[in-house]
This record gives sequence, structure tokens and C-alpha cells, in this order.
Amino acid sequence: MSMRASGIHLHVAGFDLLSGISMQLEPGTVTAVVGPNGAGKSSLLRVLCGDLPATSGEVLLNGRPLAAWDAATRARTLAVLPQQSTLDFPFTAREVVALARIPHRTGAARDREIVQAALEAVDAGYLDKRYYTHMSGGEKQRVQLARVLAQIWEPAPEGGRVLLLDEPTSAFDLSHQQLTLDVVRRFAGEGVAVLAVLHDLNLAARCADRMLVLSCGVLAADGTPAQVLDVTLVERVFGLRCILMPHPITGTPMVVH
Amino acid sequence: MQRLLPRAPFLALLLVALPVAVVAALMTGPVSISPGAMAHAITGFLDSPRAPSRDALILLDIRAPRVLLGASVGLVLASCGAMLQGLFRNPLADPSLIGVSSGASVGASLVIVCAGSWGGLLDATGLGLVAFGAFLGGALATVLVYRLATSAFGTSVNTMLLAGIAVSAIAGAVNGLLGYMADNDMLRQMSLWQMGALGTANWPRALIATGVAVLMCIWLPREARALDALLLGESEARHLGIDVQRVKRRLILLTALGVGTCTAMAGAIAFVGLIVPHLVRLAIGPNHQGVIPGSALGGALLLVLADAAARVVIAPAELPTGIITALLGAPFFVALLLRQRRSL
Repeated sequence: MSMRASGIHLHVAGFDLLSGISMQLEPGTVTAVVGPNGAGKSSLLRVLCGDLPATSGEVLLNGRPLAAWDAATRARTLAVLPQQSTLDFPFTAREVVALARIPHRTGAARDREIVQAALEAVDAGYLDKRYYTHMSGGEKQRVQLARVLAQIWEPAPEGGRVLLLDEPTSAFDLSHQQLTLDVVRRFAGEGVAVLAVLHDLNLAARCADRMLVLSCGVLAADGTPAQVLDVTLVERVFGLRCILMPHPITGTPMVVH
Repeated sequence: MQRLLPRAPFLALLLVALPVAVVAALMTGPVSISPGAMAHAITGFLDSPRAPSRDALILLDIRAPRVLLGASVGLVLASCGAMLQGLFRNPLADPSLIGVSSGASVGASLVIVCAGSWGGLLDATGLGLVAFGAFLGGALATVLVYRLATSAFGTSVNTMLLAGIAVSAIAGAVNGLLGYMADNDMLRQMSLWQMGALGTANWPRALIATGVAVLMCIWLPREARALDALLLGESEARHLGIDVQRVKRRLILLTALGVGTCTAMAGAIAFVGLIVPHLVRLAIGPNHQGVIPGSALGGALLLVLADAAARVVIAPAELPTGIITALLGAPFFVALLLRQRRSL
């Protein structure tokens, strides 16, 4: 088990943002978190990465509580992509991605290779000398994705790697959405436990092994996309009448409305 | 905006320019001393230290401590400015933002107005009571701003900015009140102090500032990677394994010590901490492994040159150095900003 959360409650300023959430991330699987706006998806991600301390409950990374890890050691196993980035200084794409190697001691030559490979993995190789402040939203998001990939590029001796992504594809066109999901799947194939907050149910169903559905801070469903997605759940959680049909080729469920 | 130069040649250029500027500054003044005369005076002094020549006296007692003080103060102000701009993720941050400059000016004014009569008390050390008042005031204001912005969840840099503005406003009011109570002589002392001047330089002051400058040179480069990571955002830096809260506390303490000392030794020299890191960033990009040494060298260079100019423009009288740094720096800064905007 790469990451396990049990009995997470998050109470902030008089509101219960999360109540009684227990979940786990297995090595080699992609877990998608879906839910309507304000359901607590990002809050859950922030609790899992240690940005927000849970009011009660516990998050274990490779069997040890998050807070018990030394910061640099933890950074070699856990990488987090935030929803928005505030970088406002003219770094080149290469320099941004190179920041991911701060917690590592692999040497400059190896770091350069990893940075280049990570940029190419997200189709941002052509950006390497461009300035971050001059990039489009989608390009910035790809560079940030390359950064978190470079952070956990190689297996860590400290334990299973975990990748947490908050809306990684929100600024992408269709082909880059697909590319991102392919990269994420490839990472999972190497044994990384991936959790991605996604707002597109079809995208989630297509790429995830497991889906967590959040509704008003509680876990409404947890299982494979085929188990989780049904017409009554979508109507109950999202307030949307829809029909479900299998994808003509892959057979994964598709929500049509 | 393209970077002008790669990092290494830019730093090399500054490393060559600084000694040249130091020699030029030693030559310049109401009495100009050629390099030949300088060498002659120094060898003469080494031969018979008991009977120094006129040139040797000017060089060793007046100009050398002054140039050393200028270089050290410039180095500390600019490198602290670079560090704060990184910490606040804001290229417009400067040391006055965290209250250290305004606190120091209240400290200095308080001493000038209330303790003018004890003037002789600390003259034995060559530092003067005003310097102590300024250092204490700066340190107290920084601690106050830091405490106001720190809660159980850590230090919020946004709250620090606001608290810094509030503390500066209070300091401005207290300064005004002290000015109202002061007599003409004290008023003139206060306003001269606030313009910043290296004219009070002597060896004890220069050596204290140099000590702080050496500390900055040793310490700050170690924080470069943490500062780079902080530019991404605090939470991102934490996920890269940086202990953000400890880095913040260390950097703020260093700034209070560095800028507090500099302000105590040379008054409030404006603009160096803001403009130099900005220029360096325009030249070689935002990487702190370049910005910190570049700002340190550039700050020293700028202040040495500005002070040399301050000594000659209206010779035999001299201008407060802070006026020169603002007069020379601001138009240059505006020109660069305009160039940057046009190239966007």
C-alpha cells in the first residue's frame, strides 16, 4: 500500500469539508477522484499531501504518518501537482523542471537527462528554452506536469512512489489530454500509485482503475468505473439526468447527456 | 525579454569591475590621488608608519574605511533585497517592506532627539549612540512584523507585507512627532540620517559592516535552491522537500541583522536593495544561484561608485550618498522597465 487514509475529517471555519473518508492508493493503479464543484476533491488532495492537517484521522505514506517523514525524503516518493501555479518569474521550462531534482542527489548529468526526458514525455521538449511567463496556460500546465514527473522519475529506495494530480488536464486540448493520461498510465505501469482529481467523468472512466466519487465531503462511491458509474448515482451526485453506454471500442462506461 | 548574458561571464564581469571601481573610488575626492601616488603613499607608510604622508593619511584614515563601508553596505543591502524578493515572490519587495528600515529610522530619531546630550557616551567605540538606536529599532520592528504575521499555521508572507506597511506607517508618524518636538539642529541631523551617507565612515564601522557582509557571502548562497523552489509557491516548495517555515525564519533574521546593521552604520540608503537584484534578474534570469552573488557584487559596485560621485559632484562639499543612488538609479531603472515592456 503506497498511501492509506483512514477516517479523515476536515473541519474548517465552521464547515465540514470532509467527513469520514477512508481510502487507499495501491502501487500501479490510477485512482480518479470525481465529484461536483465544492464536493471536497481538492481538500482531500490537500489533506493527502499534508498541506492541510486533517481535523481527525490519519494519512500514512508507505506505512508511516505523513508528518513523521523528513521533508526531503518524503519529496523523493511523493510528488504533487497543484491546480494552479503562481510562478511569475521568467524561468525557462528547463529550469522549472530542474527544480524537481532539488531533493535528489543524482548528479547534474543524470538530472539533465531526466529533465529532458520529462519535458519530452509531456510534449514540451520544444519549450525547453522558452520563458515560463511567456507560455500559454496549457504549456505552463505541461511544464508543471513535467516537473512533478521528474521529481519521482526513478524508483525511490524509501518506498512506493505516489503522484497526486489536481485537475492535471484542465487547460489541455484533446490531444494533450490523451497524452497526459497515457503518461500517467505509463507511470502507473512502473508501480507508481496515482491519484488524479478530474472533473470529466468520461475522461476519468477511460483512464482510471478506480473511481472515488465525492459528494458534499463524503465518499458516495468507490470502485471500478464500471461498478461506480450508474444512472442513479450520477443523478444523485451531479443532479444530472443522463444515459450510460459502453465505449464502442474499449467498453468502458460513457456518460451521455 | 531575452537574458543579456549567461551567468558565468556576467559574474566574472562584476568581479573584474568591482576592484576597478574600488581603486577609482580611492583615487577620487576633493584631493585626487593618482594610482602612482597611491602606491607611493602606501609603500611610504609601510616603511615609516609613524610619519605618514598627507596622501597616506587621506587614503588610510578617510577613503579606505569609507570605500570598504560602501562596498559592504551595498553588498548586504542588495543581497538581502534579492533574498526578500525571492521570499515574497515579488520583484518589487525590498528590505523596507518588513519594517526594518522604518524601525531603524525611528530608533535613530529617538536617539537624536531624546539622547542628544549623552552623545559622548559611546564615542569611545567610534560607533555612536545613533547607530545603536537604529539597529535596535530595525530589529524590534522586524520581530514585531514577523510575530504579527506568524500563526500556528506558519508565517504568511501576505500578512507580513501588510504588517510591514502598518509598522512603516506608525514609524512614519512617530518620526513626524519626533521631528515636531526636535529643534533645528536635531531636525537637520534626522533628515541627513534618513538620506543615508557614508561620510561618517571610520574603521570600526567599516569592519562591522564587512563582518556582516562576509556572513551574507557565506550564508546566502546556501539558500539559493530553497529560494528558487519558493518562487513556485510555498506549498510547491514544501513538496520539493524544503522546510519552508525554517527557511523563512532564517532569511528574515538574516535580513534584520544585515539591513539593521547597514542602516545603523550608514543611514537609510534607499533603492540599492530594490534596484540591484532587479537589474541582475533582467541580465541573467531569476535563478538565485546567479541572482544572489550577482546582486552582492552589483550592490557593492553601485554603492562604491555612487559614493565616489557623491564626493566630487559639489566638491569640496559632498552630497548624501542616498541621494545619488536614487538620482542615478531611478532613471536607469525606468529605462530598463520601458525596454522590458516594449519587448513583451
